[in-house]
Amino acid sequence: MWNDFFGLLKKDFRLMLSSKFFLLALGSLVLYSCYINFVYVKLDQEIYPVYLYDPQDTQSVTSEYVTKVESREALEAAIADRYSVGIVLSAGNPELYLLSSGLETTDHYRMLFGEAVLNGTVDGQAEVIGVNNKEVKNRREITAEFLFFELSAVGFLGLASMLFKEKQMGVIRVHGILPICRPMFIFSKLLLLLISDLLFTVLLTNINLGLLYALEVLPAVLLQAGILSLIMALAGFLCAVCLPDFKQFSLFYLVLAVFVTTPVFLAGQTGIVWEWIIYHPMYHLFTAMKSAYFSMPTTSVLYYLFCFGSIILLFILACQTFNREIAREG
Amino acid sequence: MIDVNDLTFSYRKDKKALHGLTFSVKDGEIFGFLGPNGSGKSTTQKILTGILKGYGGTVSLFGEDVRNVHTQEFFQRIGVLFEFPYLYANLSALDNLHYFASFYPEKQRRDAEELLDELEFKKDFLKKPVSSYSKGMRQRVSMARALISNPKLLFLDEPTSGLDPAGAVLFRKIIEKEKKKGTTVFLTTHNMLDADLLCDRVAFISNGNIVALDTPRNLKEKNNNHSIIITYLYQGERKEETIEAPELKTGIPFVYDKLHSIHSQEPTLEDMFIQYTGRGLA
Repeated sequence: MWNDFFGLLKKDFRLMLSSKFFLLALGSLVLYSCYINFVYVKLDQEIYPVYLYDPQDTQSVTSEYVTKVESREALEAAIADRYSVGIVLSAGNPELYLLSSGLETTDHYRMLFGEAVLNGTVDGQAEVIGVNNKEVKNRREITAEFLFFELSAVGFLGLASMLFKEKQMGVIRVHGILPICRPMFIFSKLLLLLISDLLFTVLLTNINLGLLYALEVLPAVLLQAGILSLIMALAGFLCAVCLPDFKQFSLFYLVLAVFVTTPVFLAGQTGIVWEWIIYHPMYHLFTAMKSAYFSMPTTSVLYYLFCFGSIILLFILACQTFNREIAREG
Repeated sequence: MIDVNDLTFSYRKDKKALHGLTFSVKDGEIFGFLGPNGSGKSTTQKILTGILKGYGGTVSLFGEDVRNVHTQEFFQRIGVLFEFPYLYANLSALDNLHYFASFYPEKQRRDAEELLDELEFKKDFLKKPVSSYSKGMRQRVSMARALISNPKLLFLDEPTSGLDPAGAVLFRKIIEKEKKKGTTVFLTTHNMLDADLLCDRVAFISNGNIVALDTPRNLKEKNNNHSIIITYLYQGERKEETIEAPELKTGIPFVYDKLHSIHSQEPTLEDMFIQYTGRGLA
């Protein structure tokens, strides 16, 4: 039995090599790391400009963050960008005057900043976020996002493209008459992809977080990466078995990317509030990955039960669909 | 070796693919299964090879009902050559054979290189990827794959397709050699020459029914009108006469100067197929 499994592993490994799977993964690793190290960590949000209209000249402007304007019209023109914050002192009491950016959270931050400037409690840029400085926070955040994207997209495509190759070569039919334990055919692919994804996770985390931080978060991150990798690979396998050709698969992949993954990114990364997003399974995987990178791993038993239940269910479905495909192709 | 009794199968409720097939194949026999596309050949083969379930009637191989056989052991005893050479294009012939052979017990396996040599496979290509092979070379590797486990029962689907005449002759010799070893062969083909030369018995299948089953010789004999065409020269003119075979007992029953040829008018297997099924083997 172990000989059979080793034979399958060797064949799948060579299939992955010939399809340049590892080269693509390496390319992604280099691309993500370059972006993180040369672009993202240097990105900083421009501070909200604050404009003050004080017709009675009651406030002597000392803060470097405040620009005084001469008229209400000038104030309105200055804050028209929906980013700046306006302060009006015409009625004696200060009034914050701002046009909504459309995001409730951002507007709230703008308001707080305006008040802080007015009260003179701004002591420079925000440097400490929890226990992380800005750079570490940025590194953790973007690494989690890239890893989630890589595992969702490439994990889904990786195993599916292997199976499509085998379908195209017709060798699936041959496996129908081999004295082989059919679940092993799926299991060997899964194992290879899992090892490859975990290795990718270790490298991406080490390169972009540094060895010290990486060692701290890796156990939890590897667990989340393993869960996501298995779920996406099995989902990709199922779709590849059910769909007749790669064109239909690509279309399905597009639909999946647009309607399944995009809402998760929007809800997780922007101020958009969708109450229904908690029912989206990918959202929980995404937040679990982020939490793992911020050293706050998910501890919900229900979450893990759901994940492992999904993996088992998907594996059983994949085996059944594979058997049906063999009978159809045979 | 194979016993099929009242075999029925439907892909949909309203579409019956097989209508109660009954036949048996003896140990060491080469059994031809002939039929046009869509006649039920592949469905029958899928059921016999244990791939397709949910059929009616009984099918037993090696004396056991196919429904109850332990699949691992069952698949160790059969070899299947598919109509098309299904191989890993990124692997070489040797790697393909080593991979497929790895699922069989070691003592059962044949040596891949020896087998390819027997199939006159070009040695230069042994380690090159299958994607660089011609169709004939791929067919040779596929045949080697089917034979590598020393199967007791061999299912061959169009074994000589894609081969040049010399290759087809070689394959026939190899199939005959397998028969001499005691291997039972279930041959599905469109090629009447293969069926005629190789098969001990053939079954004609049409629309999911077996319409005739006998030895090729008997099938042709039963429908032979025993006529003979004689071409000859008489007074400088070339002539042709058709006579009944018994007329030859007393010699040529007409005058001639020189005989050119004497041909018996034995029907071909294809003629028989058309006669039994009302259509050709397209």
